[in-house]
Amino acid sequence: MPNVGGWRFVVLGVVIAVMLVLPLVVKSSFAVDILIRVLLFSFIGSAWNLMGGYAKQLSLGHAAFFGLGAYTSTLLQIDFGISPWIGMVAGGFVALLASLPIGWLCFRLRGPYFTIATIATAQVLMLIFLKFRDFAWGAEGTTIPNLGHAPLMMQFETKAPYYYIVLGLLTIALLITARIERSRIGYYCVAIGEDEDAAEAIGVDAPSVKRQIYMISAFLTALAGTFYTQYIYFIDPQTAFNFNISIEAALVSIVGGVGTLWGPVIGTVLLETTSALLQSWLGNSIGGVQLTVYAVILMAVILWRPTGIMGYLAEVYARRRSKSLSLPAKA
Amino acid sequence: MADALVIKNLNKRFGGLHAVQDVSFTVRENETLALIGPNGAGKTTAFNLITGFYRPDTGSVSAFGREIVGLRPHDVCAFGLARTFQVAKPFGGMTVLANVMTGAFLRDRRPDAAREKAREAIDFVGLSARENAAARDLTSIDQRRLEMARALATQPRLLLLDEVMAGLNPAEIDQAVALVGKLSSRGLTIVIVEHLMRAIMAVAKHIIVLDHGQKIAEGSPKDVVENPEVIRAYLGSGYVHAPAGGTS
Amino acid sequence: MLEILAQAVINGLLIGGIYALVSIGVTLIFGVVKIVNFAQGEFVMIGMYISFFLATQFGIDPIVSLAVSMPVLFVIGVLIQHFLIRRVLGLNDLPQIFLTFALSLLIVNLSLMLFTANYRTVHTWYSDEAFRVGGLYIPVAKLVAFVLAMILSGALWIFLHTTDLGKAMRAASQNRDVAQLMGINPNRVFAVALGIALALAGAAGSLLMPFYPAYPLVGQVFVLMAFVAVVLGTLGNVIGALIASLLMGVAESLGIQFIGADSGLIVVFMLLLITLALRPSGLAGGRRR
Repeated sequence: MPNVGGWRFVVLGVVIAVMLVLPLVVKSSFAVDILIRVLLFSFIGSAWNLMGGYAKQLSLGHAAFFGLGAYTSTLLQIDFGISPWIGMVAGGFVALLASLPIGWLCFRLRGPYFTIATIATAQVLMLIFLKFRDFAWGAEGTTIPNLGHAPLMMQFETKAPYYYIVLGLLTIALLITARIERSRIGYYCVAIGEDEDAAEAIGVDAPSVKRQIYMISAFLTALAGTFYTQYIYFIDPQTAFNFNISIEAALVSIVGGVGTLWGPVIGTVLLETTSALLQSWLGNSIGGVQLTVYAVILMAVILWRPTGIMGYLAEVYARRRSKSLSLPAKA
Repeated sequence: MADALVIKNLNKRFGGLHAVQDVSFTVRENETLALIGPNGAGKTTAFNLITGFYRPDTGSVSAFGREIVGLRPHDVCAFGLARTFQVAKPFGGMTVLANVMTGAFLRDRRPDAAREKAREAIDFVGLSARENAAARDLTSIDQRRLEMARALATQPRLLLLDEVMAGLNPAEIDQAVALVGKLSSRGLTIVIVEHLMRAIMAVAKHIIVLDHGQKIAEGSPKDVVENPEVIRAYLGSGYVHAPAGGTS
Repeated sequence: MLEILAQAVINGLLIGGIYALVSIGVTLIFGVVKIVNFAQGEFVMIGMYISFFLATQFGIDPIVSLAVSMPVLFVIGVLIQHFLIRRVLGLNDLPQIFLTFALSLLIVNLSLMLFTANYRTVHTWYSDEAFRVGGLYIPVAKLVAFVLAMILSGALWIFLHTTDLGKAMRAASQNRDVAQLMGINPNRVFAVALGIALALAGAAGSLLMPFYPAYPLVGQVFVLMAFVAVVLGTLGNVIGALIASLLMGVAESLGIQFIGADSGLIVVFMLLLITLALRPSGLAGGRRR
């Protein structure tokens, strides 16, 4: 094991180095845009994975937190001139607080009905923002005033800074995930995901653990909302609370491997690469191509590799290991 | 010896079914008590009532001097009552060690300390060789061992074992009986639900017999097998003769 | 004022009949197969397009095209059970939820590619006709749809209560083991349940066509309504789903009438969230105890 661990650090070092120099090498703005999308959805996927992957609380309503983050920072910026850097954190806390009542409602249901309830809450939020125009620009939304190069207001004239911001966010999410994986709450989440009754029987306060992991997951997802709004200079309820965000957050984790540190990243790389290739071949003319392909990939994963790509790799690795060194016989 | 568990007039209905009817009994500290009875007698329901999985309609459960009705299962466990399930519920995707660590985290949130406690419990039930195996890959007896280790890792004062020996072969039963004896000698109070009279005779000095949700007999193994009520409850299943052969 | 209220209630009941066909399908699949079909709305959409093409290509009335859409969707249902759902039975929540979810995504987006996002409508001779009773206005197309929806629901109820297969389904929805003991082949029961549920969705689509536009995302409205209705009416219960669907139709209609045209869905979702808040454990899928 220590040998493998050593290699792991080398690989990780190389990955970090490559990620850091990538925008200096890649000049095509289309390519950087794809990289940013990959990092963004890896980040959202990682946030979803904490709750959906480790604790198996399969939310399809994470757009609620993405939207709350986006609206909080935008409202603070436009109405009060507060920097989105601060707004981002504020948005995170708004989402964290919102996760309490949402969780209180949705956790009363299990399985598919939990999932449906999360969809409903995200939809209600979207409808509220659509409906109340004097509160937040209603259905038309608003553009973010362009200040040119203004790092303190999270605005830049090139794409590279955005790349580094979202790379930073993803790094934070991965560090948090790695930390949780090794700590008590991580074990508790996985236990709840496996069998809630058995977990309760050995002293796990399941409602409290679910609440905690939901708060962390909501907080992180909201950061993505702020980032995305700053990146595209526009916000409206259809974008901010888009169901596709909820879908993709779950999708990248499932395809990559739920409940694994790197699953959401691997899943995003696969799905976004596929989608970018499709776009360059077919152009944007035909609607629905991207999600059709995603749906086929998702079905294939569920039917043939329910543990996702990471799960598959782990199996292959375990098989090779058990071949090379025979397991100690049972006492 | 003090009382570990005092159950008074426990009642639970499910619709028209009176699953547990006015059941009372007392478990003394450090004793092993067996709860027996035909299928559907209410044994598992009684476990669920004691451990907070069901809430009794009426009645009281007090453990080590404190009323625990109304506590949720994890609170009951934190209070020192750990249980196993009739159908083992391992966390299938986790390793044996991770399963048991999850239990050990109740008393110590530091992973290293929990790992150490978990290893002790795994060693105690004899699963050390399978420490890194996924729980779903274990045999059925090893899954029950795992469940006992997981419960032990929560450092209970009272252990409730729900049919840990069902489906085991005679050699495995002997192992399980030895294990229960070992637990008892560590000072644990044990309540065990079991079908096999042979095993019960070997581990318990005190037996409660339930039938149709009611307590129909209580006493030493000898009293119980000679009790006409008990014989009547088991009659027809051919079970009445089993104890005589099994205890010798 | 009273007249407006009565009109809103009637509008709600009429559309509620269509919701009922979708909800009963969802509840039937959940009861028998123990799967929540996220794609149920998409089969309404398929039913609509079948009727649309039969009407525009061959001049067949949408109501008549029920005779095509129902059998076609029955067969699709059997195939889906056989090739997809059967493979995730007995697994955990994740594959069960995301399989039908992926199916829904696939059908919606394939339809977008094939049919574009344009609204398609069929104009029949009765599309604009209406009965006037007192001051109340009852559109013929909606009335026909409602009546046929009630007839189909009634037929299903009779089927479930009188035939062996129907009884087997009810048994299966109450207790899997009992059904096994009765010597029933579960795969056949499951396939028929899927078939019937999808046929009902197809019927809903055909019945909607004279007064509702078809477009790839149309199913989402109906499936969301169905989910709420099914949760309200307690899962796996046909009569419960029927009554809840009618109530939801009325709630939505009152929302549109008294709060605003785009408020129907808000009212329905609010209803769901309020129900969740007030009835925590009584709901199926909630915690036992």
